[in-house]
Amino acid sequence: MSKSVLFSVNQTLKKCFQSLENNQKVWNSVLSECKPLMVSLGNLEEQLRAFQKVQIANTPLHTFPDLHQRLHFKLIQAVDIVLGKLTDKMCSLQSVRDAISNQVSGAFQLYEQNIGSLDLATCTQRSPVAPSIADMLEWLQDAERYYRQQFLRRKNLLLTLRADDLSLLETAPKRWESLETPSGEESISESPLAAITDVSLSG
Amino acid sequence: MEVDLKGSETTTPGRKSQSAVTGSARKVKDNAADWHNLILKWDRLNDEGSTMANKIVNLGFNKSSQKEMQVMMEGQDTSASSNSENAFENSRELEEECDKLLRVVDKMTRIVSKMEKLVSSEKGIIDLETFQYGTGGRQTPLFQTWPTSQFADVSSELYEAYKQELTLKRAILQELAHTTNPDLSMVYLSCWLYQPYTDDRAKLLLEGLLLETGHRPI
Repeated sequence: MSKSVLFSVNQTLKKCFQSLENNQKVWNSVLSECKPLMVSLGNLEEQLRAFQKVQIANTPLHTFPDLHQRLHFKLIQAVDIVLGKLTDKMCSLQSVRDAISNQVSGAFQLYEQNIGSLDLATCTQRSPVAPSIADMLEWLQDAERYYRQQFLRRKNLLLTLRADDLSLLETAPKRWESLETPSGEESISESPLAAITDVSLSG
Repeated sequence: MEVDLKGSETTTPGRKSQSAVTGSARKVKDNAADWHNLILKWDRLNDEGSTMANKIVNLGFNKSSQKEMQVMMEGQDTSASSNSENAFENSRELEEECDKLLRVVDKMTRIVSKMEKLVSSEKGIIDLETFQYGTGGRQTPLFQTWPTSQFADVSSELYEAYKQELTLKRAILQELAHTTNPDLSMVYLSCWLYQPYTDDRAKLLLEGLLLETGHRPI
């Protein structure tokens, strides 16, 4: 087993965690940009619901021609605009997910290429200051899976939304929020951050 | 006369080409810039008014919920005085916001009357051309392709849209603070914010006008 192989694997893993950390920041900032959009979606749902309950013909607005159709159109249009913006945000999330997937699969590729010179003992060897290669690969896989699933769940939620289905719109902000799993986020944050400092110590 | 297209991504390309334009074309071009500026002002006022209208509705709800509280607390006179103080404070604030919204609507009214003047100015240009060139009007267009009558048509269509919108705003202003039905209040707010009578067509007309008169580069 050559030391240089071990060194390059460790270096790659280190880089991987560093980029994971950066990508996580991007991911979180995109998600925070989605929040106000989700709030406006909820507001629009309220407005549409109130609009459905009110018979304009029985209100002081009855003298205005086509008001019902015109306002309905404007509200639906506003929903469409918000949904369009959210779809744009999904593209950003997708590119974060792709970046993470590429990095992780690159790390695994390097590991598999050098599998001959990395025996089981080396891969599972931990020290007080550094996790084992096996541990780090596992964490990377966990993180990759987390972002993959998160992306699919969020995208799936958005795809089901329609401007004319109020019950779906009404629950959307809550369902969107419930997709945030603090435990999943934490488990990713803790292990890579620990790994970065540890690997840098041992490297 | 302000011909500067403030706030637009594309401003007039240099003053030289502008000063070369004279006569009816000058007037039509200035009017187009005025349309742009007036609509920009209108949109700003609409946003301001929207915030006020929201406040009015929320204060109105506070008022009605306080009344309910008072009914509930009948027999417990101790808190009645502070309650009425609160209600007084609330009404004062409500009145203030209504006054502010009234001022916004007044400013909008002035904008619409300026729009009306633009329409009559466009009509005047047509009359002038009929006088100069006969009933057929001028042979070559003032700018790119539009016949002179089209400027008047676009102007009056925009004017009608904003006039209708203003009427709607006046109705909302009158009713907003007196509505107890929360759904209806919400519809008033939607109407104020989303302006059902100024649709995409109005935007398109304005952009066409700016493009034709050279305010927007082709």
